[in-house]
Amino acid sequence: MSEIIELQEPVETGHQMRDEIRQISDRVRARRQIRSRIMVVLCGTAFLISAVPLVLLLFQLFDRGLPVVLHTSFYTQLPSTPTLISPNATGGVSNAIIGTLVLTLYASIMAIPVGVLVGVYLAESDSKLAASLRVISQTMAGAPSILMGLFAFSFVVRDLGIGFSALAGSFALAVLMLPVIIISSEIAVRGVPHTLREAGLALGAKPHKVSMKIVLPAAVTGIVTGIILAMSRAIGETAPVLLVIGGGYINSWKPLDPVAALPLSIYENAKSEWPSLRTEVWGIALVLVVFVFVLSLSARMWASRKQQAR
Amino acid sequence: MSIVIPPPPDFTSHEEEVPEFNSGTSSRSWYHYVLIVASLLFAAVSVGFIGTILWNAWPEITHHSGTLLTKNGWQSPLGPFGGLAMIVGTLETSLVALIIAVIIGLGTSISIVFILPRRFRNIAATLVELLAAVPSVVYGLWGFLVLAPWMLNTVIPWLNSWPFAKDIWGNPGQQDGQSLLLASIVLGVMILPTFVAISREVISVVPNDLIEASLSLGATRWQMIREVILPTAKIGLFGATFLALARATGETVAVALVAGGVANVQSHLLYPGTSIASWIATEFGEAQGNEIAALMALGILLMLLNFGLSLISRWLVGRQRKVLAVV
Amino acid sequence: MDQEFMAQVEAVVETPNEAPVRGTAAMQLKGVAVSFHGRTAVRDCTFDVTKNRVTSLIGPSGSGKTTLLRALNRLHDLTPGAKVAGQILLEGTDIYRGDITVTELRTRVGMVFQRPNPFPTMSIYENAVSGLRFNGIKKKSILDEAAEASLKSAALWDSVQGRLKVAASNLSGGEQQRLCIARALAMDPEVLLMDEPTSALDPIATLKIEELMTELKKRVTVIIVTHNMQQAARISDDCAFLLMGEDRAGELIEFETTEKIFNNPIDPRTLDYTLGRFG
Repeated sequence: MSEIIELQEPVETGHQMRDEIRQISDRVRARRQIRSRIMVVLCGTAFLISAVPLVLLLFQLFDRGLPVVLHTSFYTQLPSTPTLISPNATGGVSNAIIGTLVLTLYASIMAIPVGVLVGVYLAESDSKLAASLRVISQTMAGAPSILMGLFAFSFVVRDLGIGFSALAGSFALAVLMLPVIIISSEIAVRGVPHTLREAGLALGAKPHKVSMKIVLPAAVTGIVTGIILAMSRAIGETAPVLLVIGGGYINSWKPLDPVAALPLSIYENAKSEWPSLRTEVWGIALVLVVFVFVLSLSARMWASRKQQAR
Repeated sequence: MSIVIPPPPDFTSHEEEVPEFNSGTSSRSWYHYVLIVASLLFAAVSVGFIGTILWNAWPEITHHSGTLLTKNGWQSPLGPFGGLAMIVGTLETSLVALIIAVIIGLGTSISIVFILPRRFRNIAATLVELLAAVPSVVYGLWGFLVLAPWMLNTVIPWLNSWPFAKDIWGNPGQQDGQSLLLASIVLGVMILPTFVAISREVISVVPNDLIEASLSLGATRWQMIREVILPTAKIGLFGATFLALARATGETVAVALVAGGVANVQSHLLYPGTSIASWIATEFGEAQGNEIAALMALGILLMLLNFGLSLISRWLVGRQRKVLAVV
Repeated sequence: MDQEFMAQVEAVVETPNEAPVRGTAAMQLKGVAVSFHGRTAVRDCTFDVTKNRVTSLIGPSGSGKTTLLRALNRLHDLTPGAKVAGQILLEGTDIYRGDITVTELRTRVGMVFQRPNPFPTMSIYENAVSGLRFNGIKKKSILDEAAEASLKSAALWDSVQGRLKVAASNLSGGEQQRLCIARALAMDPEVLLMDEPTSALDPIATLKIEELMTELKKRVTVIIVTHNMQQAARISDDCAFLLMGEDRAGELIEFETTEKIFNNPIDPRTLDYTLGRFG
């Protein structure tokens, strides 16, 4: 049977301030909305402004550098000095290309094994050593790269007596790459769900076998991403190698020989009196930027694709 | 090594060994040893890093630190080696760069997190990362070959056209347009991605709850950002600031290419100057003996400054995490 | 029984989604449905929320109760791809298409969330008056008065009046939630939405807030989502029972007074739920 609902007489209390509050807020509302819109537009403008340098830079790189990089001689010839008779005889940058490859290769050999191992250690250990190393590696990651050059100079060039060489430059770059690899390896290993480790241990496997056979393979994506990013940074750095590689003018793979490097060639020739050289550096810069972009983007894409596959 | 669960007592591993009870970190496998060796190696490298430079710099530090810190004027090859111009240059360029980077960077982060539609967020983030990936020498190149002429041909004549220009600006436009101001601008562009990366992280982890609560009270979007997000993330934003500042102090080649390389304390930023890092880079090639020690001493100074700022930043970001853990 | 009277009874019984008219309606829902990127999350909600009563939305998880609640202060505006169909009227004004801005709506319809969320950088006082400040009210006398009134309504005044400038994070969970209630009440809204406000609290704190309801409903109309049906039975005057259908969209099954829902519901599924046969 349907009831007739008894009305509960509402006892309204405490609304004295409501009208005053609503009056004030109604008056101010439009102004607040406008201010919000203005600030939002300003923030959006800031974003656009931050995009401007990149766009300008890319434009200049392609505008001035593209003609340069389209000649094979750019990649295959050794550099030469322009003269008054042949002001455009800049040659190529094969020595710098080889040099960069050599430096990156040797630096990677030095930095990757140690870096990954330390990163794994930091992820798996609670010791005081691990805690201090974590602070150290994060601080070193932000250290001025010129200091790596000073270190390599004192230690490799002078104390070890090796002199200006690819080895010295590789050492400096390795010191640069180490913290980056350590940090990203630690993050990668920590990112492996600990349930995976516990499952392995619960099956009776020994802890180190669990680490090596279960946890590390799961962390490989992150570790490799970190390595790629570290390499990408090393390729572009000038300051560490500036002081120690000696600027070799030949193509050489020997670690004890002086060697050239792409960023160094840019640095040396940017202020050249010869317009042809100043144009050439745009080509070098273009090659460098494209290479570094490709590395960064592929590292990012690979990392996110593996993330989705999970 | 910290999560160790003893296997059940009657289980034998497939290696037919009696399972051990491993406790804490005193595991004895070779794997553990390898890790420790690698870590000690890294520790040695770090100590060597600081130690070698310090060792080389020691004579200058003990005998001439006063000169290094306070005197203006660097006389190669025998000295006195006054580092004042480098210190002032580093501080000036870094601070101006920081102001540029924070103002534009904060707006950028806020845009990426709260204003841009979700589809653009990835593209925007990639854009900022690409900015970070550009090698510093390329920024220096661009600064020297593009921005410097622009300053020389457009900005400075305009400044000189002001009334009383000579009194305000003096004589800018030396060194083909290279100046501390130009270095500051280029630095600002370079540290912008650093600031954006961290500030983005910090403002995007403010709990959704708080955002919804503020909007449910009738706040406008900007009020939500200004009254809730920014104060909550304030400590982390300071952390981002310090890290960006640290990065600015360490930049070498970009500054070397656009600052003008003049080791003299200048009256204002439109004049060429130098910074600690770029001075080391430019002078080291020809330096001998005492000058090397002096440059190494500058290196130590730079290290202290950079490490100090980095550590402060780290501490701040750590504090920020604690704030959010309570929420 | 009189034939005509029986027809009337049957008419009422056969239209379970239209409640018989009782006092003034604070909010009216007509055919409200919410979808995300085309996928319906809740639909067919038609009922009137009567002024100064506690209306609860009950049902098992996934039935769309929270989704429906959040449509009432247009929180779904924040979610890209969310669409709200139907009509929602606040004292006669369509909150989506009518002559009322979102910010104004939210000053008239307040919300309390599942987990206590006072603003961490603000003191107790600042939290309580944050709504007023957002809306442009700066005069200290008004703020002070509103703070005291709202904190009293939330039964928090006595314990905090001596430490108003203290950070809000110093309060216990239950106190923080009451602070959030005060914060929402400071704007003197007509309706207060509460999304499982006690689910993150201990039993004692829960009880305190439930006791608050009888006083609260004298000032505001309360709409509360709760997955705890004993709580619904204790505190609410009217109940809307929602259930997830086969297409995973929630729908309103029945809307009645609490007494009827729990003792004599019309739909058998309602009975199953209240007897705890699923949930």
